[in-house]
Amino acid sequence: MSPTLTREQRDTGFLIGVVALAIGPHLWRVPLWAAGLALGLLAWRGWLAWRLRPLPARWVLLLIAVAAAVGAKMSHGALLGRSSGLTLVCLLLALKLLEMHARRDAFVVFFLGFFLVLTQFLYSQSLWVALWTLASVWGLLTALVLAQMPLGQPSLKAAGREAARTTAFGLPLMVLLFLLFPRIGPLWGVPGQSGSTGLSEEMSFGDVSTLALDERVALRLRAVDGELPPPGQLYLRGPVLTEFDGQAWKPAAAVLVPPDALVLSGGVLRYELMLEPLRMTVLPVLEHSPGQPGETWALDGVTLRRTAELTWIAPRPLGETLRVQAVAVPPSGVQRGPLAEHLSLRAARALPPGLNPRLRAWARDLRAQVGSDPDFVRAVVAHIRQAPFTYTLNPGVYGEFSPHGIDEFWFDRRLGFCEHYASAFVVALRAAGIPARIVTGYQGRDAELQEGWAVVRNSNAHAWAEYWLPGTGWQRADPTAAVAPERVERGLALSTPVGVFRGAFDAVDPTLWAGLRHLAERMDLRWQEWVLNYKREQQFKLLDKLGFDSPDWSSLGQLAAVTIAVLAVGSLAWQQWHARRRDPWPSRLARVHAQLQARGWPVAPHQAPLRWAHTVRANGGPEPVAQALLALEAWRYGPDAQPTRGWQQTWQEAQRWRQWWRGLRLALRA
Amino acid sequence: MLKAAQRRWQDWWKARHPARDAQVLTQRNLYIVPTKVGAAFVLTQLLLLVASINDQLSLGYALTFLLCGAGLASMHTTHGNLRGLTLSLLSPPAGHADADQALTVRLHNPGRARFGIGLRLADATSDSLAWVDVPAQGLAELTLHWRAPGRGLHELPVLRVETRYPLGLFVAWSYWRPESRQWVYPAVEAPCPPLPAGKAVGHEAQPVAVRAGGGDELHGVRPWREGDGLRHVLWNKAAQQPDPNAPLWVREWSAPPQGQDCWLDADDTLGLPDEQRWQRLTAWVLAADQRGTDWGLRLPGQALELGQGAQQRRTALERLALVGQAP
Repeated sequence: MSPTLTREQRDTGFLIGVVALAIGPHLWRVPLWAAGLALGLLAWRGWLAWRLRPLPARWVLLLIAVAAAVGAKMSHGALLGRSSGLTLVCLLLALKLLEMHARRDAFVVFFLGFFLVLTQFLYSQSLWVALWTLASVWGLLTALVLAQMPLGQPSLKAAGREAARTTAFGLPLMVLLFLLFPRIGPLWGVPGQSGSTGLSEEMSFGDVSTLALDERVALRLRAVDGELPPPGQLYLRGPVLTEFDGQAWKPAAAVLVPPDALVLSGGVLRYELMLEPLRMTVLPVLEHSPGQPGETWALDGVTLRRTAELTWIAPRPLGETLRVQAVAVPPSGVQRGPLAEHLSLRAARALPPGLNPRLRAWARDLRAQVGSDPDFVRAVVAHIRQAPFTYTLNPGVYGEFSPHGIDEFWFDRRLGFCEHYASAFVVALRAAGIPARIVTGYQGRDAELQEGWAVVRNSNAHAWAEYWLPGTGWQRADPTAAVAPERVERGLALSTPVGVFRGAFDAVDPTLWAGLRHLAERMDLRWQEWVLNYKREQQFKLLDKLGFDSPDWSSLGQLAAVTIAVLAVGSLAWQQWHARRRDPWPSRLARVHAQLQARGWPVAPHQAPLRWAHTVRANGGPEPVAQALLALEAWRYGPDAQPTRGWQQTWQEAQRWRQWWRGLRLALRA
Repeated sequence: MLKAAQRRWQDWWKARHPARDAQVLTQRNLYIVPTKVGAAFVLTQLLLLVASINDQLSLGYALTFLLCGAGLASMHTTHGNLRGLTLSLLSPPAGHADADQALTVRLHNPGRARFGIGLRLADATSDSLAWVDVPAQGLAELTLHWRAPGRGLHELPVLRVETRYPLGLFVAWSYWRPESRQWVYPAVEAPCPPLPAGKAVGHEAQPVAVRAGGGDELHGVRPWREGDGLRHVLWNKAAQQPDPNAPLWVREWSAPPQGQDCWLDADDTLGLPDEQRWQRLTAWVLAADQRGTDWGLRLPGQALELGQGAQQRRTALERLALVGQAP
């Protein structure tokens, strides 16, 4: 800080910096005009402080506030709502700085600032956001401390230290509250609007998959009892898409529940799943989860329902991180009905009329050549394997010049990735009269486990097919495996193009990027496990570890009560200890005085031991008593007297005192 | 009934805050409550908590509890900002009833640096705080002013020391009843009327005063005061001053002392209202003390023998402060 700044200038500058830090991450989320206006207001305030100009009149600010409200209404459609609220809070915070006349006005700024910090969590709760939070809160608290220092020019460092000190005192309480505060479900409304986008609910043929390039972690799996399937067999079932309009695949509107929807016979795998906020309504789970259609599954704050297509569907997008204990039965131990013809199969045979005539004719011809439906399926897969199909993430756009996009793919260009192969495969099967549908989800995982957790990324997003045969029911088929076996067999994520940034890392050391990413993800995993996923279940687990049998809310309450009691008693004891007399000497001298007075010697309490000794001698007291008092005088006030430092010296002094006291008592008795 | 309760409360309060000239602030005499800002802070936290619950934000819980912890810890630090501090009173100087009385408080700090400590009279408005910072292991002084209700030997007003440091969420305060008393002399009548003639010389003696001009002997020069004639200003000296705002100087002449023993008698002021009588006598006492000769003071029912010097003046002024008041 330059010494030429006045206190007011410096404090205002600091507050502007803190507010900018709090608003910063939101600038990308509010409309452009709002971001510009907020920055402009901050800059204006800074300029006014720098030039020592007076603050603008209130009506000017009121005008700006009204304009901001109108702008928010126009940009967001409504004034009440999350996004328009965010815009307004950002602008109000910047405006309040221009309306701050006394340092006490700063309180409004602090409270709005804390809100803005919390709002950030709606979008991300990563470790970096936590660090940013700490910095913002520290800044706000430092400004709060500065507002309570009315005199002179206190250093920012002192204020910052005081803020940190106070916060540090509060940390144990924070940890306790965090661990013990009961986690209940949402009081109203739905959580989420947050998180990155996971698999979408529908799939357009020819859409470029942006997910494929997204290397962020989608979910993590850990076997609890049993073993996770190898990457090639690891299929996480997401939305099932049955309806096709020639362009997009959508979930079937209403599906009849078939008989024998799920017949289980195999072994069971227990596992744990940690889901990032993907905003999917379907919870991706390992194939196949036991649970008959219509069953429900209650998780923390949300209840899932099993559909006829054997997916778990939530009543709202899952915008929060979830940690789920789940069970899976390997596909070998599962039979999925109906086993005989059923009405529910009708939708799985429908094709948009008049589209893709070449593929339909090709399929009909092929079906006529082979003897049976299973042979037909094998023949289609064999065709994909033998014909010059290429697996690529950049196949270009299909259906641009004709509505027959799948014909283009199947016969002309033959470039594509999982979506294309699964779509064409299903259309071919349907053309031959075999019920088929598309299943989207995740397939494969990272080769190495992260501290026991298998990592599945967004780039593991996959689409495969299911077809139905009488007698056996629904079967999985992954046509992508025919063209790109390495994608499916090894379960590798789709490879992404190398960016400039990463290229620079690779130039230094090819393993550096992977190493750094690994480290960051490991930290993120810990963060997920310990902080973000600390929910009711983890709370009860903690209680269990602390020795509560079958923990529930009441044991949580008991623990909280005991903790509060211990804290209260502890602080009371601390206060007592603090308030006690530190120096033992006054009470010691008082004891000596009482002893001397009991013998009838005219000693006064304020006199030193030397005077007492003289008094004792003058009144004919025994010489040893006078000697002892002289020794005490020398000990306390003689040239060798030392102040006592530390508990060791205190202890030694207490020993010496006890010895002296015994000596005095002996002398008095004699 | 109410009166009795009030009196009991007053008694209890006085027992809790015994009058002392040095007061150590401890657990026993410190109070602390949340401020309005603290209440707003709690409200903010409730909102943050509801938002965290509704959106199931783990980090939101963490932020809420971090602020909660910091807020509660600030109760401790706010209390600690006063605890252990010793307030002591410098012996209060005597003053006159028409001016504010100065009260200098010294704050001794045996611990770490303390900021934002405010002092005020207990019955003053809450925004009239005088602020002081006390350095670590050091002391700071602060002078407050108060208006005494009149002349006399007054108990000092109850002082209130408070702090909101560091976060302003709590206010900790204590009351302090200083034990010392402060002399408040009667106001000084201005301009000073001529001194009464010394009794020994008789009624025909001229009033004696040291004033600009009008004497026989040149006494010296002194700065100009209101009432000095323009003829006595040393204009030569003023013209030589480079600074136009420099004070003017006047010649001072002194009349030869007429009576060695000047008696200032309350009877000489008869006819004036009571308070004005004491004010005039006070002015006379000060003027007589200036003269450097012996003087005495006669008040109804008492007399101060002839004498001079600081002790004589103080005794006279103290008697004037108390005259006519119930002991």
